[in-house]
Amino acid sequence: MKILILLVAALSIAACGTSVERVDEDSTIDLSGAWNDTDSRLVAEEMILDVLSRPWILEHSGRTGKRPAVIVGTVRNLSHEHINTSTFVAEMERELVNSGRVDFVASRDERGEIRDERIDQDLNATEATRNAAGQELGADFMLQGQINTIVDAEGKEQVRYYQVDLTLIAMSDNRKVWIGQKKLKKFIKNPKIRF
Amino acid sequence: MTPVVFCALASFQGCAHLQIDQLATELPRSGPEKTLAALEAIHPPDRDMVQYLLDRGLLKIYNGDLAGGRQDLEAAKQLMASLRAISATETLAAATVNETLRKYNGTPSDQVLVHVMLAFGYLFAGDVDGARVEMLQANVMMQQLSEGDSTSGQLASARFLAGVVYELNNELDDAMISYRRAYEIMRERSEAIPSALQVSLLNLSWTQGFHDEYERYATAFGRERQLPTENDGEWILFYHDGVVSNKQESRFTVFAPEIDGLISIAMPKYPSYQYRPRHLSLRSGKQRQRTDIVENIEKRAREDLDEQNAALLAAATARAIAKYQVQKGAAEQNDLSGILATIITVASEQADVRSWNMLPSSIQIARTTTPVHAGAEIVEKNIELPAFREVTDGSHILLFATSLNDRIYTFPPTGLIEKELTPDARVQTVAGEF
Repeated sequence: MKILILLVAALSIAACGTSVERVDEDSTIDLSGAWNDTDSRLVAEEMILDVLSRPWILEHSGRTGKRPAVIVGTVRNLSHEHINTSTFVAEMERELVNSGRVDFVASRDERGEIRDERIDQDLNATEATRNAAGQELGADFMLQGQINTIVDAEGKEQVRYYQVDLTLIAMSDNRKVWIGQKKLKKFIKNPKIRF
Repeated sequence: MTPVVFCALASFQGCAHLQIDQLATELPRSGPEKTLAALEAIHPPDRDMVQYLLDRGLLKIYNGDLAGGRQDLEAAKQLMASLRAISATETLAAATVNETLRKYNGTPSDQVLVHVMLAFGYLFAGDVDGARVEMLQANVMMQQLSEGDSTSGQLASARFLAGVVYELNNELDDAMISYRRAYEIMRERSEAIPSALQVSLLNLSWTQGFHDEYERYATAFGRERQLPTENDGEWILFYHDGVVSNKQESRFTVFAPEIDGLISIAMPKYPSYQYRPRHLSLRSGKQRQRTDIVENIEKRAREDLDEQNAALLAAATARAIAKYQVQKGAAEQNDLSGILATIITVASEQADVRSWNMLPSSIQIARTTTPVHAGAEIVEKNIELPAFREVTDGSHILLFATSLNDRIYTFPPTGLIEKELTPDARVQTVAGEF
């Protein structure tokens, strides 16, 4: 009897321990139904495919003879969840830069640190290695967007509809040269009984 | 009888909520800083974790740790969501021992107020989008909680705050809808409509072109719109007054001659309503605007308990019958077992008096317009506010204050306004002398 009690106690302690398992970064694991890495990846993939297949790049290159320079503006989260929009924006940025067809310039937040460093170089770096002010690449286009959601809930069930809209706007004349949209819809059923 | 004894012992272990209750009672005198330090020394069992996180999160916000407060409240919110499913084991334990063996999951008002407090946490850290997320979630929660004509879980404070957040985002249609709902909820409860809500409804219905609706409000409130000019800025003050009452235990014990022992039923109750609100006022020049109650949390807490009472009483009665059977069985074995069973069953009968008990007694609001170059003052706290244009180029400044200390938050955030009370001064404030 004592052995049985000890066994049950040992098993119950083992069951309470934290377990960690490495999983493939592309695997889909939905826990709460909230926005997660898979949603972020799906949005980035869709947007990248779309933005690279549209005529704005060729049109700009043909007209100026240069790759378009893009700056990331504000991507607002207007959804029902706290979503970090920078994850899929960063993924888009990476894919577009690596495609060799688009240049990205530093965003407003990033520029401050770089300019500080340039001022520091002005004082402390050798003339041969110093980077002068006033040589920055001006952006041709700005990427802006927002995430919106519609949530319908009844009892333990919820339908969540996400819509991600991104727009590329020409800095010269405010023309919208590309509009990307990705929609996701989830049906979430929460359990009625737990242990 | 062994499982009953085991469960009874388990219920005695967790006295963390009693310590938390004590801290909540002393909070007006001790202040949020000392209370937080004492609360952090308590290690509550899992079943009290939601209550603990809610209290700690709110205290952190009062103490200026907005990020820490948000983290705790977010964790509480997620736990509350996971606890909405009915637990088989907790139901069994509650049916045989007492209700405190259930994990605390918050009242309907708590479920909405957690979003309100989180929204304050985001807003006064300068994150309007974060506050907007919380207001959208509060809206979904209130939809889920609405049942027929009941106002359970419908909070005018959440609707008013949502209106303000939408106004900051220039989403005026949504702001109008939120203010309208706040008005409907308060009218449904026959509560006085705060001046700030009246002004919001009058101004927005006029500027949005709903002139018939405007006329209805003007007639109902007996006043006209107060539209700010280009040279005016609007101040909106949120004030948390006092600390909500703790629940108490109400116990009925009767002698049962059949078993020659006692049967006990314990129910939670609130002490009689004695809340006397204190207000703040914003003064600029000759204008003075006093805060009014938009959410009387003392009343919401009592309403939530009233809604629960029938179910709690039925459960307590069923439990008393089950315990009676245990006592009867034990008494039939021998006298000693009978006495032991009586002691355990009576002592294990405890009312669930847990609640989010560091909430304010009321949430109050004021809304006033001043010339952008004029200063203002929070009169009762003797705090001078800088001129509107020193804080923002925008059209609104939001202020947040509590009666528990003299920390003032602003939106947009600024380090310009902060003053801490000395302990002596705090006692005076608590006594209502300001």
